[in-house]
Amino acid sequence: MDILVTALANVMTPVALATLVLGTLAGMLVGALPGLSSTMGVALCIPITFSMPPELALILLGAVYVSSVYGGSVTAILLRTPGTDASIATALDGYPMAVAGRGAEAIGMATLASLFGGLVSVVVLLAIAPPLSTIALAFGPQEYTWLAIFGLVTIVGVVSERPVKGVLSAAVGLMLACVGLDSFTGEQRFTFGQSELFDGVPLLPVLIGLFSVSQAFNLAVPSQSGVLSEGAQRFAGRSFPLWADIRRCLRTLGRSSVIGSIVGILPGAGTSIAAFISYNEARRHSAHPERFGKGEIEGVAASEAANNAVTGGTLIPTLTLGIPGNAVTAVFVGGLTIHGMIPGPSLFTQHAESTYTLIVSLLFANVLFAVLGLWLCRYMVSVTRVPGGVLGPLILLFSVVGSYALRNEMFDVWLAVGFGLLGYFMERWRYPAAPLVIALILGPILEVNFRRAMQIAQWDLTTFVTRPLSLALCLLVVLALVVPVWRRWRLRRSLTL
Amino acid sequence: MRLLTTTTSTALAVLGVAWGSQAWAADYPSKPIEMVVAYGAGGSTDTMARIFAKYAEEELGQRMVVVNKPGAGGELGWVYLANSEPDGYTIGLINSPSVETHPFTRADTVGYTLNDLLPLANVVTDPGVLAVAADSPWQSLDEMVQAVRAEPRSVTVSHEGIGGDDHLAALNFASTAGIELNFVSFNGNAEATAALLGGHIDAFEGNMSEAASHIGEGDVRGLAVWSGERMDAITDVPTGAEQGYEVISSASRGLALPAGVPDEVYQRLIEVSRSVIENPEFVAELDKLNMPLDPLYGDEYAASLEASQQSLKAVWDKNPWIEP
Repeated sequence: MDILVTALANVMTPVALATLVLGTLAGMLVGALPGLSSTMGVALCIPITFSMPPELALILLGAVYVSSVYGGSVTAILLRTPGTDASIATALDGYPMAVAGRGAEAIGMATLASLFGGLVSVVVLLAIAPPLSTIALAFGPQEYTWLAIFGLVTIVGVVSERPVKGVLSAAVGLMLACVGLDSFTGEQRFTFGQSELFDGVPLLPVLIGLFSVSQAFNLAVPSQSGVLSEGAQRFAGRSFPLWADIRRCLRTLGRSSVIGSIVGILPGAGTSIAAFISYNEARRHSAHPERFGKGEIEGVAASEAANNAVTGGTLIPTLTLGIPGNAVTAVFVGGLTIHGMIPGPSLFTQHAESTYTLIVSLLFANVLFAVLGLWLCRYMVSVTRVPGGVLGPLILLFSVVGSYALRNEMFDVWLAVGFGLLGYFMERWRYPAAPLVIALILGPILEVNFRRAMQIAQWDLTTFVTRPLSLALCLLVVLALVVPVWRRWRLRRSLTL
Repeated sequence: MRLLTTTTSTALAVLGVAWGSQAWAADYPSKPIEMVVAYGAGGSTDTMARIFAKYAEEELGQRMVVVNKPGAGGELGWVYLANSEPDGYTIGLINSPSVETHPFTRADTVGYTLNDLLPLANVVTDPGVLAVAADSPWQSLDEMVQAVRAEPRSVTVSHEGIGGDDHLAALNFASTAGIELNFVSFNGNAEATAALLGGHIDAFEGNMSEAASHIGEGDVRGLAVWSGERMDAITDVPTGAEQGYEVISSASRGLALPAGVPDEVYQRLIEVSRSVIENPEFVAELDKLNMPLDPLYGDEYAASLEASQQSLKAVWDKNPWIEP
């Protein structure tokens, strides 16, 4: 307990609080701009922390991290241009809400959900990090294979309106996921000798292209430019969601926070998987699944609670085992070691003060971005009143900068433009873009883990069902596939009778 | 933000050329220097580059702007470095053995050769480590080799990328011991360490800087370090040679310029590198990161890269690790 008081005192100093505010604002901005990922935001702060005392350095990095994940939701909702892949699921319902003039309300819910998910995961990190970290070790290649399949199954949830077009879009994503050097044999697959493609089709330019660039094209086409501002004109001014809506979403918030925290613990699983699984679960448990994708506030809540719960989750294996939960926390590890703190058990003994200061500051950062978010919400919404002719070029500008900044390669900018055209036509012909991105993220996870499992089990396929955890995940996948079909069948029967 | 700094430095560079065609090597450096890192921001190469840049700025009196150009196992960044203006205003980090192997393993598509680069100084040499989880029955290389002999190809060993130094070290060990290992490829150290600690793989081949903290904590046991002598950070771990397996393998990080840089600039930068590498504060920072210093300058560094490339090429010609 003493250590918590000391940590609290460390956070409450004027310098620490100023660092916290600056970090939170910077993080929100990084998250909102397309292409500036959380990883990049934290990495850019590392050199600044060189000369700082370790506690301040950690406060800065932590604040940038958690608020950047939240920041992505704002542009995802208002402009349908998610700043990071973590917020794609948020856009599915958030953007229809904005178009209907409920943008501020959607941001309000996203803010509350992010706060909820963030706080739950930090409390979990504070209270039971060491036992939970074993989850990171229990998951072997077999389990990751099932997790990836489970993630792909959520595509069914995202596209339930247009299943064939959705599956086609996912198939394109899986095909794109095959591009690059084969990590087991070193062979080049569909790279056409382009070394820019050796690591596969880079995710960020695809994301920016499909969502941001295509949106810029949309806004530039006269017949469509009115869509966004028309709704926004009817904006009623409510930036805090109705209490009834919040109460309705409580179970979703809780469930999504748990999913987010657990997925966060798994190294390499990724924030967007957590958001999509939570979104799909919320839809499955909803009394009105048909409303999802058309502006259901519960969809926003599910995605945002999950993606912010991931932040605390990823820090669990990072701090307890020295195994970073994702790319951002891998950068974190670099920041820690520079200050002589080697991630692992010694963080909770030798460096306990700094470690607990970080954890306590994360609670503060979560509250801070929520307060800032709710306060700035009504101003941010005015972005939708900017005419399409101005907004479109602006989005295009940020998209170009964002896709270039990733690797400082012009190739990636052309890639984003290409995928922007693809996204524009997909939308016109009503092919959903989200399945393509989910498949592009999950394809490589599925492939390498399947092959790792096969090598480890010496090509014995039963390994996927003979391990208890594998079997449990396998049953989850089967349930997720069978239950909706069975429900529909029962519904149809009760209708015909 | 990085784009902004890049744009500014490019703008400054253009200005510099227009205004100072008189700016001879004597005034060097008269504008910010770009430092190309062929790996992502926040990684260990990037961290080392930024620490080096911080001290080099003091020596040079000019800003050093780190620019990340990750991709294709370093190739994108090195192609960029090789093709940049040889005026001393672009410096890059090069990583061995990848910088040596790409030119022959990707002969058809690769965009640079070692001759396009002017090696400046090697900074860090991070030896390979073969490790097992603390609860593994094997205490030594011999015990592991016996287990493999009893059941060939049954032992799974992680590496972090085909043709990378981990993979090459494990291949070298396998051929020295006359055994066949079951290699499992992982994306980076975090996933491989998690798989080792979780008991999903039998052994882990990585670098000392990554494994040292886990060996120190006691959850991982180092079976061998592939260096000439034992390393300070992990003194209990015997070398391969001590146990009768003559394997030397490491990952090195050094500095290089595009070929054709004027000699005065080249000499000046060697001196700057030397002062940074000998700066006790720089040494202390690298020590915290478990990155062992291994200074080699100018011709000496170039010769070692050349020799290493030739011996790797000989292995490749006999037994390529990527099927053509």
